[in-house]
Order: sequence, then C-alpha cells, then structure tokens
Amino acid sequence: MRPADLPARLARRALGAAAGAGRAAAPLARAVWARRPGARRATAVAFALLLAAAGVHGLAFQGSLPGRLPSALDWAAARALLEREARPGDAVAVSPAWAERAREALPGTVPILALPRYEGELLPGVRRVWLLSVPGAPGFSWEPELDLVRLAARAEPLPRLGALALSRYALAAPHLPLAFLPDRMAGAEARLGGVPCTAAPGGFRCGEGGALRLERTVREVDGRARPCLSVYLPASPGAPLELTFPGVPAGRWVRGHAGLVGGSPAGAPVRVALSVDGEEAGAFEVAGPGFTPFELATPGAAGAFRTLSLVFTWPAPAGTLCLDAVTLP
Amino acid sequence: MRRALSAARGLGRRPRLAALLLAGAAAAVLLLLAGAPGLTRDEAALVAGAEPAGAAQAVVAAGRAALGGIVGELRAPRAGSAVAGGALTGLLALLGAVLAGPGGLVLAPLLFWLAPRHLQAGLSATPDAAAAALALAAAWAYRRAALGRHRRDRLRAAISAGLLLGAGLALRPDAWILLAALVVHAALLRLTGRAAPPAGAEAPAGIEARLHGVPLALAAMAVIGPALLLAASPGLLADPAAGLPALVRGQLRGRGGPAPVEWLALTLPAGILAAYAGGLLHAAWRVLRAFRAHAPAEIVADDLLLVLVPVAYLAAGHLGLGAPGAGVRPWLPAAPFLALAAARALLVAAEVAWPRRARPLAAALAVLVLAPPCWAVVRAFPLGASAWSELAGGAPGAAARGLPRQDGGEAVLALLPAVNERAAPGARVFWPGIPPAALALYGRDGRLRADLAVAAAPEDADLAVVSLDGGSRDDEYRAWGALRTDRPAAGVYRDEVPLAFVYARAGAWR
Repeated sequence: MRPADLPARLARRALGAAAGAGRAAAPLARAVWARRPGARRATAVAFALLLAAAGVHGLAFQGSLPGRLPSALDWAAARALLEREARPGDAVAVSPAWAERAREALPGTVPILALPRYEGELLPGVRRVWLLSVPGAPGFSWEPELDLVRLAARAEPLPRLGALALSRYALAAPHLPLAFLPDRMAGAEARLGGVPCTAAPGGFRCGEGGALRLERTVREVDGRARPCLSVYLPASPGAPLELTFPGVPAGRWVRGHAGLVGGSPAGAPVRVALSVDGEEAGAFEVAGPGFTPFELATPGAAGAFRTLSLVFTWPAPAGTLCLDAVTLP
Repeated sequence: MRRALSAARGLGRRPRLAALLLAGAAAAVLLLLAGAPGLTRDEAALVAGAEPAGAAQAVVAAGRAALGGIVGELRAPRAGSAVAGGALTGLLALLGAVLAGPGGLVLAPLLFWLAPRHLQAGLSATPDAAAAALALAAAWAYRRAALGRHRRDRLRAAISAGLLLGAGLALRPDAWILLAALVVHAALLRLTGRAAPPAGAEAPAGIEARLHGVPLALAAMAVIGPALLLAASPGLLADPAAGLPALVRGQLRGRGGPAPVEWLALTLPAGILAAYAGGLLHAAWRVLRAFRAHAPAEIVADDLLLVLVPVAYLAAGHLGLGAPGAGVRPWLPAAPFLALAAARALLVAAEVAWPRRARPLAAALAVLVLAPPCWAVVRAFPLGASAWSELAGGAPGAAARGLPRQDGGEAVLALLPAVNERAAPGARVFWPGIPPAALALYGRDGRLRADLAVAAAPEDADLAVVSLDGGSRDDEYRAWGALRTDRPAAGVYRDEVPLAFVYARAGAWR
C-alpha cells in the first residue's frame, strides 16, 4: 500500500461506518418519531421548559447581581487609592453615569464627572481622568471608556478593586483656561440700565424688588449639570444688563456655552455681547433648548489683565439663562 | 377544566374557607407591611386632598380617622388598600380554585402578589388594589348574571355587577375600560350565537326581556355605574359642564415612556411574565378551539373574558387612555386576570406534559417560577417601586435606560433616620419634589424631627434632601450651588442606583 492511498482509504472506511451506523439507527429514529408527543403535549412541554428556564434565569440573576456591583469595601479601596494618588488637575469619571455613590464615597478634593459620553466634552482644568467603572453592572456600556481613549495621550489600566475597574487617562490636549468667569463673581459688578445692582449671596439682585437675579450656581441644561452663571431674566426692563469682571487674565479666545434652563418660555432670544476694556469683541444669541457653544476671538487682549463685560439684552421674558465662559490662551 | 366562573357557587366549603383565610391573612400582612414604604406623590395628593374630592380620598380619610391613633399615621391611610388587597386575594384564590382546582387556589394569588410592584400597590394609599379587586369582582358578577338559571339570581348578580363597577368608577374612573371590554365580550358572544341563556334557565321576563338580548348585567352596569360615580363626585354633580370635560381629560393620559407591554416586560419577574404570557395565549387558544368546535357559551365566555379584559387595559394604555399614575398603576386591574390565566396554564402544562407526575411537576414549576420573584420582593422591600425585572437588568439596567427610579419621592423615607440623627438643631431643610403632605405625615408619625424647618429654596437651606426619580435634577444642582457642595452626606441606594441624597452646608451635618 502506498502512503498516498491512506487518506482515501480512511475516508472510505469512515463513510462506510457512518452509512452502517445510519442503517442501524434508522429503526430507532423511526420508533422515536412514531412515539413523538402530539402537538398539545409538545406545546405543554415547551411551556414548562420556558417556565423552568425563566425561573432558573431569575434565580441566577438575583443571586449574581450583588457580586457584580461594588461593595462598601470596594468603594473604600477606591477612596484610599485616590486619596493617595490623585493630583490637582485630576477628575474621576464614573461609568455607568448612575454610579453616583462615588460622590459620597470618594474624596471631596477630586471632581466627579458622571456623563454618559465624553466625546466633545471640554473638561476645563482637567489633565488626567480616572475612569471608575462597574463593568459587571447590567446595561454597562464601554462608550465612556472609548471616548476617553480617543481623548487621551496615554491610558494606564490599574488593578481592579473588587467589582470596580479603574484606569487612568492623561488627556492629549487638556483644556486649561486662564479664567472661568462664573468663578469671578466675587469681584464683579452688575448694572441694569446703568444702575448698580445689589450684591446678594453668590451674585446680584437687580431692578425693582430684585426681580432680576444673577448668581454663580449649577443648573440642569440639556440634561446635565452645568456650573454656570445663571441669569434670571423676567419681563424686559428695556435696558441692558451689564456684568463686568475686572482684572481678568485674557487670552486670544473666550469660549463657553449658553442655554436656557428648561428651554425658553416664549421663544424669545437673549443677546449676549462681550466687550473687552469697553470695546465689543463679539456677540451671540441664545434661544431654544440645548447648551450652545460660542467662541469669540480676543486676539488683541491676550497676555494682559483686562476688564471683560457681558451685556445681556432680551425683548421678552426669557426664563433663566445659564452661561459658562473661559478665557483661553 | 370545563368549569365556568359561575361554578364558584358550587365550590366545596374547604376552598371557600381557604379563600377566606387567605384573604384575612393577606389583609393583615399588607397592613403590617404598610408602614414601611415612603409616601409617593400620588399618595400625598390623596392624603392632602389635592385631587378632586372623590371616593378614593374618602377611603383614605376614613382610614386615617378610624385607625390613625392605632396603627400609625403612615399605615392608617393605607388601611383601605390592605382590605382591598385581602379581598383581591380571596377572589383570586376562589376563582383560581374554580378555574384550576386547589393548585389554582394557591397559585393565582401568589402569581399576582409576588410581582414587587403589585405588592407595592397593596401597600399604597392609592386605590389601585381596590380597582383591581373591583374589576375582578365586577367581571365575576357579570358572568354570574349571564349564567344564572333563575331570573332572581340573574337580577341580583346584575345589580351586584353594576354596584361593583360603580364603586370602581368612583375610585378610579378608568373602570370604563372594563365596561368596554365587557361590551365587546357580549357583542362577540352574540355575533357567534352564544348569547342565549344556558339550557334549563328560566326564560327572560320583565326588564330582562325588554332589553332585547342586551345582557342584564351590562345594562345594570351602564346605569348604576355612572350613577355611583356621580354620587361619589360632588364636584361633578354640582357643575357637570366643568366636571365632565375634566373627567374626560383625566382619562387622556397621553403617550410617552415605555408602552404597557414594555412596562410589563421590564417590571414583571421573568417567570411570572412567561406564565402571564402563556396563560393569555392558552386562554386565547381555548377560545379559538371552542369557537371552531361550536362549544356552548359557558365554555367560551370565561376564557374570552380572561383574554379581553387584559387586552383592553393594555390597548387603552397603548392609546394613551386610562388612569394617570406612576409605574404599573394604569393597567394594574389587568394583572389579576393574567394571574388567573397563568395559574391555570401552569397547572394544565404540568398535567399535559407529564400526566403521571403532574403534581410534582406542577409543584416544581411553581417553585421555579415563584422563587426568584419572592427573592426580588424581599430584596426590594420597602422600595418595591424601584424594582425592575431581569429583562430590564434590575435597577441598574433600568437606570442605564433612563427609566424612573421610583414612583415619586418615596425613597426619602429611608433617609429620615440619618437626617434626624445628624442634622443640626433647627436646621432648615430644602425638600424638592417631596410634597408637604408627605412631610407633615412623616412628622405626625414621628419619623421626622419636629425642630427641622422647611426651606422654600436651596439658598435658604442648611440641608437639601433630594429624591432622584429619573426626571429633572435641576433642584438638586441648585442645591449644589447654594450649599457649596456636590458631595452628599448620606444616600439611599437600590442595587447601587442612587434614589435619594442629603446634601449639607458645612456645619449643618453633625
């Protein structure tokens, strides 16, 4: 026998054996088919199996869920790690966004970000992001992690802390503003139609009875928490509201976002103009839902401390405007 | 399995006694547990009398007046629901026994109550458990009126059906959906030539004869039901021109959020969901088979009822009609019908799949179906409205989908011990989204310190207690700004999903 014939012979033998087995099994298969359950019984068996499967799945789900979620010990470990290793410019992103026990469990010195996505987020002042995720949680999505991978120059996975997965991302292009205008409310001045407004905790009250309010606060716009300068704009007094920030380190750009809390009640737009040392550098309008970005060029102002003014005009009651703005080099 | 609902009258003493005992035990357990869940916004509106005056408010007020000093301020408004829950249990047991024997007697109530949100309805002051009980009782009376052999029995059952529907309408005006389902039921029976009285029954006479084939019970329901609704709604009676449009507007719930079938899939434990679906399909298959075999009305009618009532409530929900309310409230009256059909389907499946071992198989299936929801109920209690099914991924999966985390501020109750212990004396507390009636009730029940003042705005507050229900969080964010912190001092969580937080100004949390 030539060695080259061997595979063919083996194949023929295998086929013959299979045919023999098939012939031997055929009566058995016919008998089984003849004794198959009727449609009613088959349906009942299928329903019973479905109930049993649903029950087993339910037991497995209820039994496994606590182990898939972080325990108090996991959170304590995360707290200890961040207390030891977090630096200024760090922030913690939680994933999924609902895992906000982090606000209670983690050190108060590290800002918490709880956003469903990070694509397009500026993250002002943040150089590194610690992503604290719960990959075992039902409904978990890797999208926040993928967003951060795209934003990062370097990703560093860290050892797991029980059900918590931890990784650190150094942002490739950190957004480092020279000044965040809402945080400079303490030194600001406000005037309504040239009349100075009254200082109030966190801001100003203007107009008759202090109906017009400005304050540094956090508001929900477009479904997210927005630290901003909130301006409550009731019926227009017919005069502009001017908010002046003296001694602001200026750069080549002023960027930010503006939006109306809960949308605009009357659809009336609010015009916001920016002036640098008394000269208007640009303006934009805010109307409708969303937290709209704006960007105004201030090339001549760069490299010095300037007086920046925001001038608001609105023709009809506009609700509450939420505005954040930073100066950028 | 060919017994009709009307055969309940022919049941032995033991099933009746067992149903009665189950009803009493269920009412006692519900009343015992009713002090644990917090007050939802819907309940607070009833307690405060903010809703239009009606029977539901009267029941709550009567409970508070009669039992306030005995069982506690938080339990007392829920006493009516506990009694209704007991009645519903008894009815489910009785009708379960009629449809599926002793196994049905036990299974039907368990298949209803072991869904965490159904149990929550029994622990709530809202009239949902009562509406479910009345819908089932009215449907049963309607069937008895159709199948009674004596004219007097039929008349008595018809009047009972009218009174039960009227009570249902007075408590929750969406009981019209049941009436609509019964009208369709009667029409289908008539179109298929099955509207005649059963063989050997006394021929219609008097008013029954003058109705020209319209079932007596339907006529009674159409007359007595609205009359009772009017009698229970003084505002409607005083100013019908304003009251009627308001009543109609109240039934236009509007679309939005998950559809009813989606709600069922996301909230019912998987085993119960499968049993409900199987029960509904089984009843539908029996109807089709009976129509094809030209079976008499008493064979078709009960199964048709088990199909039509749930389908009517779910269809109304899809169309944005029916009672407004959080969670599964709008279509809760459909659930007892589904539980009955499910109990029968499970027992029939065991009997058909393995006739020689039917009982052990049925017991094993029942344990497999009911053990996970039982576990879920224990884990969820007292936050049953925050429970989501395995299909939803539990509370974490639901939170990831942006579904509501609770019915309306009830989780705050779990934070009150921490607030009482650690809030500075005389602290001013901002309670966004928590109704003043709920706070007053917590105070009267001794759950909230008397020296804590209510702040109207976060700027005036030392503490903010915020409830997270999946909706807007603007008030919480304002509190961050006003209290200068986004770090909660304490929180309530369900499977790590936050339900409520306390934020404190520096120095206000000891």
